[in-house]
Amino acid sequence: MRHFKNLLAGATVLILYSCVADDDFSIPDTSISDPVLEGPEISIAAVAGQLAQEQGNTELDYTDETTIFTYEFETQALYMVGYVVSSDEAGNFFEEIIVQDQPENPSIGIKILLDVTPLSIRYDQGRKIYLQLNGLSTGITNGVLTVGLRNGNTVDNIPSSLENDLIQRSPEVDSIIPLPINIDDFEDDKTNLYVRLEEVQFNRNLVLGERPLTYASESFDEFDGNRLLESCSSNERTILSTSTFADFKALSLPSGRGALNAVLTKDFFGETFNVRINSPEDVYLTGEERCDPDFLDCEGATADDILLFSEDFQDFEGFEAAGWTNINISGGNRDWSIGSFEGNSYAQITGFNANEDPINVWLVSPGVDLDSSQSEALSFDIQVSFDNGSILSVYASEDFTGDPEEATWLPLDVVIPSGPGGGFGNFETTPSVNISCLSGTVHFGFLYEGSDPGATTRYHIDNLIITGN
Amino acid sequence: MKKHLECILFLLMWPLLGHTQGTRVVGSILDGSTGKAIPDVSIIIENSSFKVKSDAIGNFSFSGDLPLGEQFLILEKVGYVTKRYPIIINRGDLLDLSGLIMDYDQSDKTDLYVISISDDNLNSEDDVLTENISGLLQSSKDVFLRAAAFDFSATFFKPRGLDNSNGKLLINGLEMNKQFNGRPQWANWGGLNDVQRNQEFTMGSAPNSYGFGDLAGTNNILMRASKYQPGGRVSFAAANRSYQGRLMGSYNSGLLKDGWAYSVLLSRRFGNQGFIEGTLYDANSVFASVEKRFNSRHSVNFTGIYAQNRRGRSSPITEEIYHLKGRTYNPFWGLQNGRIRNSRMRTIEEPILMLNHYWNLNSKLSLNTNIAYQWGEIANTRIDNGGTRLVRINGEDAFLGGARNPDPTYYQNLPSYYLRNTNPGTYDYTLAFLAGETFQNDGQWDWFSLYEANENLRVRGGNALYALQSNVVKDRQLSINSIVEASLNKHILLNGALNYRRLHSENFARIEDLLGGTGFLDIDFFADENPNLVSEGIAANRAQSDLRNPNRIVKEGDRYTYNYSIDASLLSAFAQGQFSYKRLNFYIGTQLSHATYQRQGLYENGFFPSEGPEGSFGKSKLISFADYGVKTGLTYRFTGRHLTEARISYFSKAPGHRTVFSNARQNNSLTSGIGSEQIFSGDLSYIFRSPFFNARITGFYSRFMNGSDISFYFTQDLAGLGLGGGDAFVQELLTNIERQNMGLEFGLEAQLTPTFLLKAAGSFGQYTFQNNPQLYLTSVDFEGELRFGDGRTNLKNYRVASGPERAFQIGFEYRDPDFWNIGLTANYFSHAYVDISNLARTANFSSDFDGNTFNDYDPVIARELLKQERLEPYALINVIGGKSWKFGDYYLGFFATINNVLDQEYRTGGFEQSRYANYRRLSEDRSRPGGPMFGPRYFFGNGTTYYINLYIRF
Repeated sequence: MRHFKNLLAGATVLILYSCVADDDFSIPDTSISDPVLEGPEISIAAVAGQLAQEQGNTELDYTDETTIFTYEFETQALYMVGYVVSSDEAGNFFEEIIVQDQPENPSIGIKILLDVTPLSIRYDQGRKIYLQLNGLSTGITNGVLTVGLRNGNTVDNIPSSLENDLIQRSPEVDSIIPLPINIDDFEDDKTNLYVRLEEVQFNRNLVLGERPLTYASESFDEFDGNRLLESCSSNERTILSTSTFADFKALSLPSGRGALNAVLTKDFFGETFNVRINSPEDVYLTGEERCDPDFLDCEGATADDILLFSEDFQDFEGFEAAGWTNINISGGNRDWSIGSFEGNSYAQITGFNANEDPINVWLVSPGVDLDSSQSEALSFDIQVSFDNGSILSVYASEDFTGDPEEATWLPLDVVIPSGPGGGFGNFETTPSVNISCLSGTVHFGFLYEGSDPGATTRYHIDNLIITGN
Repeated sequence: MKKHLECILFLLMWPLLGHTQGTRVVGSILDGSTGKAIPDVSIIIENSSFKVKSDAIGNFSFSGDLPLGEQFLILEKVGYVTKRYPIIINRGDLLDLSGLIMDYDQSDKTDLYVISISDDNLNSEDDVLTENISGLLQSSKDVFLRAAAFDFSATFFKPRGLDNSNGKLLINGLEMNKQFNGRPQWANWGGLNDVQRNQEFTMGSAPNSYGFGDLAGTNNILMRASKYQPGGRVSFAAANRSYQGRLMGSYNSGLLKDGWAYSVLLSRRFGNQGFIEGTLYDANSVFASVEKRFNSRHSVNFTGIYAQNRRGRSSPITEEIYHLKGRTYNPFWGLQNGRIRNSRMRTIEEPILMLNHYWNLNSKLSLNTNIAYQWGEIANTRIDNGGTRLVRINGEDAFLGGARNPDPTYYQNLPSYYLRNTNPGTYDYTLAFLAGETFQNDGQWDWFSLYEANENLRVRGGNALYALQSNVVKDRQLSINSIVEASLNKHILLNGALNYRRLHSENFARIEDLLGGTGFLDIDFFADENPNLVSEGIAANRAQSDLRNPNRIVKEGDRYTYNYSIDASLLSAFAQGQFSYKRLNFYIGTQLSHATYQRQGLYENGFFPSEGPEGSFGKSKLISFADYGVKTGLTYRFTGRHLTEARISYFSKAPGHRTVFSNARQNNSLTSGIGSEQIFSGDLSYIFRSPFFNARITGFYSRFMNGSDISFYFTQDLAGLGLGGGDAFVQELLTNIERQNMGLEFGLEAQLTPTFLLKAAGSFGQYTFQNNPQLYLTSVDFEGELRFGDGRTNLKNYRVASGPERAFQIGFEYRDPDFWNIGLTANYFSHAYVDISNLARTANFSSDFDGNTFNDYDPVIARELLKQERLEPYALINVIGGKSWKFGDYYLGFFATINNVLDQEYRTGGFEQSRYANYRRLSEDRSRPGGPMFGPRYFFGNGTTYYINLYIRF
């Protein structure tokens, strides 16, 4: 047993010696202290001014996507200051931080391209940050002011390896007060700002159908889901754009009216304004009273015993010859035409490549006499393609005499379906609309309200049918 | 080899032989350093069937029809250096050999293989590394197998291409191979070297007393208190391979007068890192055994083993990473407050309790009954980067959050990613350079940023984004068996056994550390990633790991993500007859077994709602496998010097539950086409034995039919799922695998002088797939079972990656009479192949998203892309040596090895990644300006490493 005791004593000593450094790791101190800057601060406005100067302008030209201003490596560091307004928590922003110059009443914002995911856990909304500009470049990309690393003739992502060298965080986190704005007040220099739209709603065609559309998980959504947002206080409309990688892409669009907070930005081509939200929590469209047009609301039964009018555009001799009115009321050239595919002909329109803004085009049917019938109803087939906004509406008029701008138009409650953003959809027959309360000679009008750049959705209309008994 | 059985046979006949008059050889055996008698030594008259064991006071005696003239007496005992004494036996004389000396084998080589075994087991959850077989072979006396166990093991060489699921590991007669995958878990008894010296190894399918065995042999470790040499031992080892230090103390009472015997051992292995960076090692082992010998007929033994093991894991790396960081690089660790922390820790804690009853009914019949209970868990940690928070809007749920994979070797962190496109510009080269520089200067796990993220979210009231997750297997297993041995007469020995075991295995993920966060939302962050499923069901439901308890916020210690149990049982019966005659020994054995498996889902997974076999909750179908086997073989002695051995066996083997359930984490589905593997095997050996020269050469052939396998990976662009719909995390099920292993192996040793031994060994094999197995994929990203073309993968004639197919050794051992020794071996390895991607060999390879053949498909380029890579050959030189001294009652010694003396850089194996498994993706990846992004990953061998062990015996 003596051996055994020696053994135990020896073992105890050695076991104490043999501890490994592990376990019970203490939580690292992640608190932030005010950064020590090694050079002067510079405002976003000054950064924009330097780019404008490089462009040879006094004001920044947001269409000039080729001029790039590069901050050289100087002896002294230069820091751009800003407040973070975007958040990639939900995946709707990707490898970019949008910052603006003030937490409230901002005057200008800029997009920082940074190859890091996720960003919001370091650059949370309201965080004051300092971007060291030396070696970086500014320019206009996708229509907005951008800072990043120069890649040929564009501004591209700052690599993750430079993140800690270039960006410093302040412990200061302010509440960002969104800038109230109307859609008609959208301006280039308001992009990259966190804005608040009051009294808006999603277009009725998106939310009042059988199933409201989702933010971005429809089969036709590619890259982004673009949803038409309308103002209740004016006739203006804009697009709410949501990434198909957003965590909330499958949520249904809210159907009410109200306000939302979002970053004002532009589409991929830098051509049209749109708004992009950080989270669906920033959407407050909860008001029950929508501001849809006052649709024709006829009571009573409808019938399809007799065919009062039909047009399938087969062997069509032309709009004018057939008694139709096809007119661009905004002064442009783009209008309706007859197309055909696999032997089927239809009336078609698209704003694509029109280079006109706006594109407001009426297609008005010949008059249909509704006096000698009852229980009339209207339906037609529609194919929606390259959908980037729901911009078609259907009307009826009892006093149309040739000029659509002179006539009194009664909006018909037809929900225009959505189609794929990158290709052709399929023909669908709309649910029939009760028009039994109309009388006299009635004309039916299709109003296309597009713009290029902007919403250029392509529509094919076929088999317009008026029935009754 | 049948040594042990024959010994037992002989012992049983002892009373008869004792009365015979005539020529006799008697003697006694003493320990060379302590002078104490050594019991249980096997004493053999070489090239005869005369074998005896020394009794409790070291005495032995031979009599009967002994071979006359100049003979060699061989003394063997585990833990001692085998001795050969030349003797002359004269007719009618008594030869007295009292005081023969045996030296304790201070080399303690068993530590070496245990290190490599533990390394392998600990390094990975599910890859080729766990298949190392050398542990099974450690106690073999065969020159070739010893080379395989010690010098070849560092390279994953597998004798005859067999891995450890082809062998049986027993402790006190009870099988320890896991029902999960058929492999023994070495960490369960790691660090117990001093009490694992009593091992009986049976080579290949040769008969053993315990069971039918398997192709690669059966190793029974006797851990029985009365069988240990009395005395104590304390040792300290230092190394730089896996652990840095090992302390071990043991004490054995030996069989005391009152019939009691006990044995205890305590050991600790530790290290902050091994040869690979950041591989922490922290293992404690406790062993206790008590035996009571009631009388000459009954003994009862209790053995308890508690081996706790915690280990930091490392990762195989790509060529690109190797060039940037070298072979010791390990991405899994990073500094936290200045201390190394590994994100992938493996913890094994599965104690074993065992009761053994030994009953000699009479001199010819013995019955051994064993019962064991093992329980505990194996847990592997990793970082879960899918933390989110729930947002509920108008009754609809969305989960905001999630992060990119924080692994420093994530492909977007490496230069190749920035040079992925053709004609990279200045910007791309700048980014590639910066990425390479950052990776080279750091490249380690960024714990700080994980805490920073969680803290930022916590302050805002959010859930944790990152958490340390454990994948846990929590088992309870009961094993019972009875082993009977009957000696009918001096020629016939019968063995039989009945075995039953029952396993309840719970499998789940668990939050180990919230990394500063307060809670983690238990949903599948990737649930809505795939466009194929957008219209089906509500994404928020699919994301639920448990529909019966949705949107749970879990805390540290809580189960989450998946939770299920497997009940498995195995009942088997074994019978065998062994027949020995003067020139011929032969045996015949058979086995019947019945295995059952059933899964029970404890969560109702959002992707597989409903209960029962078609769903995820509740019980799966009960699946059972009935198997049988037969084997036979013979040894024929042409003369005492020339022998031949032949063996054949045919048997079937139930798959482990690893492959029976196709997606056990998420549902109750059984693998389609799963069945028992059928194995046919034969070998033929020629053996030459002489006093100075021993040699063996064996030709072997094995055929495996209807095998199965499962693997898990993320892959892109699966064919036929539509544009952009082909990315999925999949389970790959491979069934009906047919393989063939054939080759030659040899070993020879020449005792040039009594102290100098020259040895050589080698193996030359070819291990190939013989058919095109069935392959299908399952995933939550698409419906049902996805097959390509004819549903097969064209593996025929590809090599089964099983280490070097060729290995050769030449070496010597010098053993000085003055208690020191040195040995050196030079080892050469070649023809190791990289494990191929099965998916890339299906019709998926040539098919586009619409299922049609790629329009740019070029069969010549395709052949080049699908060619199996053969790794470079390499040579390793190992040195081994030791010395011992005596100080009063104490004996002090050391033993040291240096492996890979020349610091050769080499790859022991590798595998193709299946992420890119089609023609277009692969050819694109191979031709990138910065090298492939998803090239094969390789396992790199250790550089020069040492191991030194100091010990004191008393």
